[in-house]
Amino acid sequence: MFKTFKFTRKVENTLMLLFTAIFLVYISLSPDMNIDSLKGVLIIGVTVGIIYGLVAVGISLIYTGLDVVNFSHGEFFMIGAFTGLTVYNFLVDGELIYAIFPEAYGVVGYVIGLFFAFVLMGLFGVLIERIFLRPLTKKGGGYTVAGMGIIICGFGLSVILQNVAYIIWNPTAHPFHADLGLPINIAGITLPMTYLWMLVTGFVVAGALYFFLNKTKMGLGVRAVAFSKDISNLVGINVPLYISIIFGIACALAGIAGTLVGPTYQVVVYMGYIILLKAFASAVVGGFGSLPGAIVGGFTVGLFETACSFFISGSHKDAYAFLLMVVVLLIKPTGFFGVQVKMKA
Amino acid sequence: MLKINGLISGYGSVQILNGANMKVDAQSIVALLGGNGTGKSTILKACSGLIRSWSGSISFNGEEIHNNPPHKIVEKGLVQVTQGKDVFPAMSVIENLRLGGFVLNSKKKLEDNLQKVFNYFPRLDERKNQLAATLSGGELQMLCIGRGLMSNPKMIMLDEPSAALAPQIVLDIFKNINRIRKDGLTVLVVEQNVRMALLLADYGYVIKDGVIKVEGDSKKLMYDDTVKDSYLGGGGTTANV
Repeated sequence: MFKTFKFTRKVENTLMLLFTAIFLVYISLSPDMNIDSLKGVLIIGVTVGIIYGLVAVGISLIYTGLDVVNFSHGEFFMIGAFTGLTVYNFLVDGELIYAIFPEAYGVVGYVIGLFFAFVLMGLFGVLIERIFLRPLTKKGGGYTVAGMGIIICGFGLSVILQNVAYIIWNPTAHPFHADLGLPINIAGITLPMTYLWMLVTGFVVAGALYFFLNKTKMGLGVRAVAFSKDISNLVGINVPLYISIIFGIACALAGIAGTLVGPTYQVVVYMGYIILLKAFASAVVGGFGSLPGAIVGGFTVGLFETACSFFISGSHKDAYAFLLMVVVLLIKPTGFFGVQVKMKA
Repeated sequence: MLKINGLISGYGSVQILNGANMKVDAQSIVALLGGNGTGKSTILKACSGLIRSWSGSISFNGEEIHNNPPHKIVEKGLVQVTQGKDVFPAMSVIENLRLGGFVLNSKKKLEDNLQKVFNYFPRLDERKNQLAATLSGGELQMLCIGRGLMSNPKMIMLDEPSAALAPQIVLDIFKNINRIRKDGLTVLVVEQNVRMALLLADYGYVIKDGVIKVEGDSKKLMYDDTVKDSYLGGGGTTANV
């Protein structure tokens, strides 16, 4: 008979440190290693990481609030990017903004695009939750037959949303020409403005979310509902409303992340699929269901991925996130911030 | 104040309550007694809207409240306090209390109620910035009751406030329940600790198999044999032992 073998926390942490050390030594032996490339990797890794973090926070929020893993979250990211693009193109083509702000029409249009992506995706998320998920979550989420149903529905919803986006925006890749100004120079690295926008807006949004959850009454309610629906009912929180709010916030975060990524890459119908999996990896690495964990996991995955693709090989970029996820699951199954593994689907 | 008429309810398709009738007068303490699995907690859950009532009626202050959403019932002033385990462990004591006053709209009222709760339970004031997970069993129970008081209720329903607590702490909590009643609240207390509950209460109900078997003044119930029977499993067979 096999003896059940369990790592203690100390062994887990030691192994994690060992893995990090081996990884650092390995990349430092790379011929491309120098201080400039390291700076570039750091900046780009953090930038990509904050985007993964924002999407992962949404997945974690939905997981704690609705007891389901939302596999259609990537499509909210994709539709958010299209929303931002459409609003931006509409405003900039309409010449109205150009007449008022001839100097900074691109920035103003982009900010309005971000705002609309945030608000419209929030409302769209609430609508989806009310129409599609509410009848299912009523029958019980989590580790039940209905919970499994919701997961399958998540995949179905993902296909439906992709096809709707197909019809509206057609399957070709849309370039997002946001006119945000010339690239700037930070610490010897020339960085396109789109990266700076990702970095700054990402941190602002994450900070605003932290403030919302910890300092406002509604945030207190969100945390309460995420922990226990029964106790929240007893203290007089309108739980169904708050579940909608949770879903809405998660989708709004995905929407703003989509618009932030749009100008750097392209806006395509398929862009949601890979970000969903990367964000999922981030959430697992940080500890599933933990919000600070999701952000930290995002940074970890972003940095690891960027470092590997720069120092090892750029042609397998998408594999590294999952390599890290598998390593973390093997060594430290709860992730960085996961306190306990809940029995949820 | 609270009137329950022919209440039938249960979980899923399992019927627990088979037509319970109860009445709680304003500013009184009423004890609801019964063994495990007799439907005590089910009555409370039906009153606070956590489970649907299949038939019968529940009225509070003359208003029909059965099958209202739970937060509406809290707004009307009927609050259920669960056992001490049911707090938010990752939040501080003061955040837990703030959540209790979630239905209040003004900040001033919230602060007033906080002072009121700290007045009842000075221990919570000492520990207000600690995480709820670090509190002891008695303090958790105080926190639960305090949280229930935060929303300015007219009546609170306590679900086994003495469960798994030391006798000294139970006494302290029961003293505070009496104080809460003196300040104008109505209290319905569900208990396994029969003696303590009957000492505290004015009137008692004994529930068995989902119906009220015995009711009466608590002084009278204390010497009633049927009460003893319903706790020992009934049938009177224990008399021969």
